[in-house]
Amino acid sequence: MDYSTLSIPQIRQLLLDKKATATEITQFFLDKIKLIDPQIKAFITITEKEALEKAAEIDKKIANNETIGKLAGSIMAVKDIFLTKDIETTASSQVLKGYIPQYSSTVYQKLLDQDAIIIGKTNTDPFAFGGSTENSGFFTTKNPWNLDMIPGGSSGGSAAATAANLCHFALGTDTGGSIRQPASLCGVSGLKPTYGLNSRFGITAMASSFDCPGVFARSVDDIATVTQITAGHDKNDATSTHQTIPDYSSLLDSVNLKGLKIGLPKEYFTQAINPEVKAKVLEAAKVLESKGAILKEVSLPSTNLGLAVYYILVPSEISANMSRYEGIRFGQTAPDGSNIISYYMNVRGQFMEPEVKRRIIIGTYALSSGYYDAYYTKAAKVRTLIKQEFESVLADVDVILAPVSPTSAWKIGEKCSNPLEMYLADAYTVCINVAGVPSLALPCGFNSNNLPIGFQLIGNFFEESKIMSIGHQYQQITDYHLQTPKI
Amino acid sequence: MSSSKITLETLDHIAKLARIKLSDHEKEVFLPQLESVIEYFDVLNSVNTDNVSPTFRVIEESNPLREDVIGESFSQKLALSSTKNTQDGYFVVTNTIKK
Repeated sequence: MDYSTLSIPQIRQLLLDKKATATEITQFFLDKIKLIDPQIKAFITITEKEALEKAAEIDKKIANNETIGKLAGSIMAVKDIFLTKDIETTASSQVLKGYIPQYSSTVYQKLLDQDAIIIGKTNTDPFAFGGSTENSGFFTTKNPWNLDMIPGGSSGGSAAATAANLCHFALGTDTGGSIRQPASLCGVSGLKPTYGLNSRFGITAMASSFDCPGVFARSVDDIATVTQITAGHDKNDATSTHQTIPDYSSLLDSVNLKGLKIGLPKEYFTQAINPEVKAKVLEAAKVLESKGAILKEVSLPSTNLGLAVYYILVPSEISANMSRYEGIRFGQTAPDGSNIISYYMNVRGQFMEPEVKRRIIIGTYALSSGYYDAYYTKAAKVRTLIKQEFESVLADVDVILAPVSPTSAWKIGEKCSNPLEMYLADAYTVCINVAGVPSLALPCGFNSNNLPIGFQLIGNFFEESKIMSIGHQYQQITDYHLQTPKI
Repeated sequence: MSSSKITLETLDHIAKLARIKLSDHEKEVFLPQLESVIEYFDVLNSVNTDNVSPTFRVIEESNPLREDVIGESFSQKLALSSTKNTQDGYFVVTNTIKK
C-alpha cells in the first residue's frame, strides 16, 4: 500500500482499524526516502532512529487501547531551523554544524505531542536567508518536477519533500515568502499564517517582527489539521497571539463562494509577470468566479516599495539576531584569537556563508550611525503605508488573489551571481510579510515545460479559516494539488 | 537618503561593527553587490512619510508582562553542554581585557 498519498485523518484511521502499524508506515517512508532523496536532496538529516522509536510508541498505545494523538502515524519533515531536542539542527549553515539542541521549538513539540512522526530535517538557505536553497552551507535541493531546477526557498527542502511524497506534511517558515514561493514552485500547498499565530520559540531567529512558522501539505485539509495543533499562545513567545483558535477543519466549507468578493491587485499582474504564470493565476480566479465569486480589480499602490522596505528592515533585524553566533556557547569554534574581538571576527568570518555575511552587513549598514533614520526609520514608516493599503483593500473585498512568484522555477545557478536579481524574485510575497496578514499558496497548473505554478489567497489578520475554506473549495473543483512528479 | 557609493573603507568599518572578517576576495565580490542593493533602496526617497508613524510590530498587542516568579530553566550542566570550552562550570573565552 502507498501510504504517502493518504491524508492525515486517513492514516490515523488505518491505525485505529489495525490495517497498518505506525512502524510499517514509517518504514515505508524511510525506504522511499532512501530510494528517492539522493536525487532530490531534500533532507539534511534522516531521523530513522527517532522515527522508529516514535512509531513503536504509537503502536504500543494502540495495542494497549490507549488514546492516540490527532496526528498519529503522520510523517513530518522539519525545516532544519526548528530546534529538535537531541537531533542535530544546523539551520543549513556551517556555523551550527554538529549543534545538538537541548530543547525543542514549541511548534515541533506540539506536533510530536499529537503523535506525528519526525522523519528528517530538511534543507534550507542558511538561517532561511534566500529563495532557492542555493545558499545552503551543505548542498542545493532539486525541484522534484525537474532536477535541473531550484525548488524555491528558503524552505525548499520541506517543499520538495512534500511534492515528492516523502512526508505527509512539512514545517517551514515564511519571513518574506519562504513557504509560499517554494510551495508554488514545487506544486504543493503552503500556509503563511498571520504573524503571531504560530509560536516562534525555538526557531533560529531571522527577522523577529516578520518570521512566521507554517506548514506545507498537498491539500488544504491537511494544512487545516496541522495548523489546528500548532496555532495559539505560547508563554515562551511574547508576540504569539492570545486569540481563540477556531476549529479550522469544521470551517472548511463555511465560506459561501456565491457573492464572495475577490480582489485582483493590478500591481501584481503587470508586464513583470511571466505570461504563462499570469494566465494560470487568472484561470484560478475564473474557477472561483464560475462558482459565483465576484472578481474585482483592486490597487495596492505601494507594492513596488515592498522589496526596499523588506530588504532594509529584515537585514536590520538579522544583524541584531545573528550576533548570538559568537562561537562560544554553541556552534563551531575557531582557534583562539589574540583577543575576543578578533576571535568573533575569525569564527564568524570562517563559518558564515556569503549570503549570511551579506545580509548582516546590509543590516549593520542600515542601522549604523548616520544612516539609521534614512534607511531603518524611513522603511518602518513605509511599512505603515503598506499595511494600511492591505487593510483598506480588505475592507472592500473579502480576499485578495495574486500570483506567488513572477516566474516558475528557474535553473540552478541562474541567479547566483546577482543577489539583487534573486531578491527581486520575492516581489509578490514580501508585502504580505511587511503587512503581517495571512496568505495561502495553492497550485493552479503547469507551464509548457511541466513546471508548477501557484497562486495565493490573502486574507485580513487572523482570517486563516476564511482563506483555507476558499482554498479547500478550490481543491474540490480542481486536481492540480493531486499531481505528483515522476521520479 | 543618500545614494553615496560604498567605499572599501566603509565596508571595512561595517564589517568590523558586524564582527565579520572578510577576505580581500569577499570584499571585491561584495562591494558592487552591496552597492546595487543599497542603491535600490533609493526608491523610498520619493515617498512622502511626513505624518506617518513607523511600524515596528504588526499586531496591536501591548507590551505583555508576566508575573515575576521563577520558572523552569536550564541547569548549569545543560547550559554548558553545547561546547567543549568549559572550565569549573564556566564558558571559556579568549582574553577580553588587555594585560
